[in-house]
Amino acid sequence: MPTKEEKALDERLVKEMKEGKLEAFDQIALLYQRKIYALAFNLTRNQMDAQDVAQEVLLSIFKKIHTFQGKSAFSSWVYRITLNASYMKLRTKKKDQFVSLDDMLPSFNNSGFQQEKLLDWSNSTDSLLFSNETKEIIEKAVALLPEKEKVVFLLRDVEGLSTEKVGEVLELSIPAVKSRLHRARLFLRKKLSHYFEEYESRGAKK
Amino acid sequence: MICCRECLELLNDYIDGTLDGGVRDSLEEHFKDCPPCISFLNTYKSTTEVASKTLSEIEIPEVVQVKLREFVTRTLKKKEGS
Repeated sequence: MPTKEEKALDERLVKEMKEGKLEAFDQIALLYQRKIYALAFNLTRNQMDAQDVAQEVLLSIFKKIHTFQGKSAFSSWVYRITLNASYMKLRTKKKDQFVSLDDMLPSFNNSGFQQEKLLDWSNSTDSLLFSNETKEIIEKAVALLPEKEKVVFLLRDVEGLSTEKVGEVLELSIPAVKSRLHRARLFLRKKLSHYFEEYESRGAKK
Repeated sequence: MICCRECLELLNDYIDGTLDGGVRDSLEEHFKDCPPCISFLNTYKSTTEVASKTLSEIEIPEVVQVKLREFVTRTLKKKEGS
């Protein structure tokens, strides 16, 4: 989350850039390049593509700073440009699949209560966190997320933006952000549960 | 008592701490008597943690950093020259 100081620094640098002070652009590039690269990489999963996107975004900031009016935070503007450039790179935004909630929830009886046992594998995630296999499983699961849910998950849970800020970047209402995030987390949980359940039951036998 | 379905719909807000006190109490009341919902809550939480930790590890590779630096310098030079 940007602090007040970071926001003030952004505003000062933007102002300087608009006044034609070139060093300000250099500083902005240094401040933002990791954020831009990380988001672009998580969307494209490709180093070259992410590098191209980062370069395009920096160039857009440089050329279009005069069109930035400060209605939203500068960082939101940068995130928006990054998303657009990443989508252009991917060209075809995946057709919007629909994530059905029922597929991701356990089975309920007619009164809405769960009837089956549910394995709690949450302790396995710590011991498996840094294994390459886990990393791969997670990356695959995220790649499978529908675009609408994925972008909310990346901005909120990975980049750590607040719900409000994600709404600002994506021009979505707070309830819409929350519901997409919830769906994303449910989707990922479902995808990861097979893997972790298996690990848990293997561990129990040992 | 709220049912499991309602309970799982509220997880997001529960974790964020944005639920009304009353709703939160009835959710916690439900958790007391419902091991499957506790399991769901725990695995939902750890999914979020493990996934965000894994993806936020990304750093810019050295070569990309160098390229971007060169690009910025080039862009600024061009501007100065113009």
